[in-house]
Amino acid sequence: MRAFLAAGLLLLTLVCSAQDAVDFDSQSITIALAQEPPQLNSMKATDQVSVLVLGHVMEGLTRYDRRGNIIPGVAEKWELTDEVATFWLRKDALWSDGVPVTAHDFVFAWRNALDPKTASEYSFILYPIRNAEAINKGELPATELGVTAIDDHTLRVDLERPTGYFVKLTAFTTYYPVRQDFFETQGELYASEWDAMVYNGPFKITEWVHSASLRMMKNPAYWDKDKIILNVIDAEYITSDTRAKLNLFVDDKISYTVLDGETYKDALRQRLRIRSFTTGSVFYMSFNHREGRLTSNANLRKAIRSVFDPEEFVNKVLATPGNLPGRSTFPVWLKGVEGRFRDEYPPPVFDVDVNQGRRYLAKAREELGVDKIPSLVLLVGDSPTAAKQAEYMQGLLKSKLGLDIKIDTQTFKQRLAKMTSGDFDMVNAGWGPDFDDVMTFGDLFATWNLNNRGRYSNPEYDRQVRIAMNSSYPKTRMDAMGQLQRILLEDAGVLPQYEQGVIYLLHPKLRGVTRRVVGTDPDYTYARVIE
Amino acid sequence: MKAPPTLSAEDFEPAQHDIHVEQISRPSLSYWEDAWRRLKQNRRALISLYIIVALAAFTLIGPLLWRVDPSLQDLNQISQPPSMPKEATLVAPYKRWSGVTINDFPAYPDDYLDLIPAPIGLRPAMPPTTQAVRLVWDPVKGAGGYNVYRNTRRPETINDLGLPLGGTMAGNEVSFQDRLNLEQRTYYYSVISTDGYDESSTYTTIEVTPLLAMTRQDAISRGLIPEDSPLDIGDTLQIEFHPLGTDYLGRDMLARLMEGARVSLFIGICAPVLFVIFGILYGGFSGYFGGRLDQLLMRFADFVVALPFLLFMILFKIAFGIGPGESGILPMLIALVLLGWPATARLVRGQVLQIREQGYIQAARLLGAGNGYLVMRHIIPNTMGVILVTLTFAVPSAIFTEAFLSFIGMGVAPPTPSWGSMCNEGVKTMLSHPHELIFPAAFISITVLAFNLLGDGLTEALDSRMRSRE
Repeated sequence: MRAFLAAGLLLLTLVCSAQDAVDFDSQSITIALAQEPPQLNSMKATDQVSVLVLGHVMEGLTRYDRRGNIIPGVAEKWELTDEVATFWLRKDALWSDGVPVTAHDFVFAWRNALDPKTASEYSFILYPIRNAEAINKGELPATELGVTAIDDHTLRVDLERPTGYFVKLTAFTTYYPVRQDFFETQGELYASEWDAMVYNGPFKITEWVHSASLRMMKNPAYWDKDKIILNVIDAEYITSDTRAKLNLFVDDKISYTVLDGETYKDALRQRLRIRSFTTGSVFYMSFNHREGRLTSNANLRKAIRSVFDPEEFVNKVLATPGNLPGRSTFPVWLKGVEGRFRDEYPPPVFDVDVNQGRRYLAKAREELGVDKIPSLVLLVGDSPTAAKQAEYMQGLLKSKLGLDIKIDTQTFKQRLAKMTSGDFDMVNAGWGPDFDDVMTFGDLFATWNLNNRGRYSNPEYDRQVRIAMNSSYPKTRMDAMGQLQRILLEDAGVLPQYEQGVIYLLHPKLRGVTRRVVGTDPDYTYARVIE
Repeated sequence: MKAPPTLSAEDFEPAQHDIHVEQISRPSLSYWEDAWRRLKQNRRALISLYIIVALAAFTLIGPLLWRVDPSLQDLNQISQPPSMPKEATLVAPYKRWSGVTINDFPAYPDDYLDLIPAPIGLRPAMPPTTQAVRLVWDPVKGAGGYNVYRNTRRPETINDLGLPLGGTMAGNEVSFQDRLNLEQRTYYYSVISTDGYDESSTYTTIEVTPLLAMTRQDAISRGLIPEDSPLDIGDTLQIEFHPLGTDYLGRDMLARLMEGARVSLFIGICAPVLFVIFGILYGGFSGYFGGRLDQLLMRFADFVVALPFLLFMILFKIAFGIGPGESGILPMLIALVLLGWPATARLVRGQVLQIREQGYIQAARLLGAGNGYLVMRHIIPNTMGVILVTLTFAVPSAIFTEAFLSFIGMGVAPPTPSWGSMCNEGVKTMLSHPHELIFPAAFISITVLAFNLLGDGLTEALDSRMRSRE
């Protein structure tokens, strides 16, 4: 019987191999994964590919809709106060084997993810839950975690401190449920094969040939299956080679591929329709604020800001579509109280003014007690675009302010080491969001944040971060964020350069694919193939 | 019958002794004159020589004639191929544009249509310039946003719309501003309606040719017009002329090639001259004295040959405290000199060993010539041919080394260019802007070829044994 099944499976594979990028009749699409999913155990997953696959086959308490708003997932409704979050789970949410999804599955998953033995790299994202950090450090037993299943369909979460964005966190991979009985029967092998996991999401994995292909099919047990139109998402290719993927796309073998600086010109030449998407990451030039560094002088920083034009930078230097000029350390897509954060709290505008810059520079020279500012070191990565950006800054500061800049080109690891030790005056850096809330960018330049490589330290900024951290009232939080945005930019603590964009190809008959700044990206959940 | 000649007594007088009987009718040629004469007959070598002279002039006199700052960025003219002088129009300073939003039109559609009509009435909101192209169009029913594309040829199908510039996220936001690397050429802008996520399958295209524009302040700061110039908005002015085009930051290629030549030729000539001089002294000394000393010195030379160049280059860079972002030319020169001499030394030693056993050396020695006289008068001049040839062949290899090291980022620090670093930068845009690679690569190739051919010519010209083969 097993041999027969295997033969059938083989036949099925052969039939499917001839498949096109999209098929209307069967509502199936073919995609390429950048790599074999390294970790499909949602409690441990950190990489993009695993997050992509898990986002289709699992569902948390909440999920994102196509516009990026939080909508009910396993939880039907919820209530959030400063101390407690309560979730009421829907009764029709089922695992792929027909067992109902219960509050216990969440309790088990979250406790397990925080267990020091699990060693989950993303465990910190659970820290808003009471005692989570202590459990993760092994100071308290997992049973002390502030999460309780009041009954099968009610989940109570006690919070460590008011966390206004807690509901958004529950859409994140690490917050997905895991069923204890199934997990324990699989043991170490959990999530290592398609049949070594159970699914509660819109799709389920039905075939997984390691390092070769992975196939997801619509999950008939999914509570909202009527909204899901696609039947099959077939990751038939596993490669990160953008040129190979471009060729597959041209041959109508895959329905989506990203383009880089080289392949986009080929795509243009081959008359393919290119699309762009803003990834949500912000890139900026960080100044070194450590004592004794010239860049700790505010007037010097302001002089540099006065001559830097982010629009020119994006349009002439980066010169690829999709990037937005950097006006703030908060990207445009972040949500504020009601609308977009940047609309509600517009960042202060600094127009390019060379004469003003020279006045700032004169002041800086006076304060520093030097006739000429010694040359400054700009630390950059070793990619071609990084070199171009650095040379632009060098030329700009030389011609407008007479500042000498030395460019220190380093590999990623070396650059990180130098950033950590503070061996630079200025460094080009970037930050991508971990979750969909202003806080993921908001505390970036707090004195205690280790990712604040320039060691920017401003008591007023820190005070505003604390206000925002300790409140769950949106207006209070956003007001504080608006304040700290203003403080940081007026102080020229960092120099925002651009918000990153990517360009990609999508099959013209494929509709409803969502690009996301946080989590599953691209998201095919609500996609459909048109005729 | 012819009468026999009549002889007189004078005919039997003894002839006068005349010292001018065996007169050399042509001037005597010295070794160098002869070498020069034969070099002149070698047309390839002669052309190479002219090229080298021209390169020297390009490097030394060029910057005096072409007074353009090689690191000055001209972002109005990025990656321009070689072209004729251009004119720009003066425009008002750029002002931010809030765009056009129609308030009494719904921002998001009520229901999703599979086919949303293409926007109509697509037009530029103001005369298009390279400063900005602003487009407006009329809203269409069912739209939840619009996407704007730009191409450099007329789109034939919907898949040929070109670069996705961006778009708006609401059905009533009906304008777009493009500032992405605009040039004075024809662009085809296409606008597609979306339902907020997906694009419709119809589009509208408009042809726009932006005028090359510059603000008055920009023109003054670039020194194109004086502070009190009568030129006003709408007037045209001549902008910077770049005969060989510009690079990826709008820097003048000609000025950069001249500046780069300075680095490349400095390394290419200084390093070989220094290590050849050292090699002559070392090899000459070793060969002349011979014996155990020679053995010792030559084994040391073998040891130096075995040292890896790149490693030493890096070590010197560290030992000299050359920090990041500083020029690595000095350590490169030192590494080249310290590791380059053994080849010359061996060659010269071999020659000296041979020459010192020659009869004329023995003769000179018998006549009481000292070591110094022998070396300076007899030995070195006789090795000159070999030395000069080594030198001319060492020059291209040093230029190549510099180019290679700058190519991998070990050489010059930006913004100083060298031909090698210019190639490194040019190779990134090889497909779209080939001139950025072709010019520096051509200069390297021509220089190396010229020195090689001259070296060949010199080998023939300076080798006195080749004389008899003519």
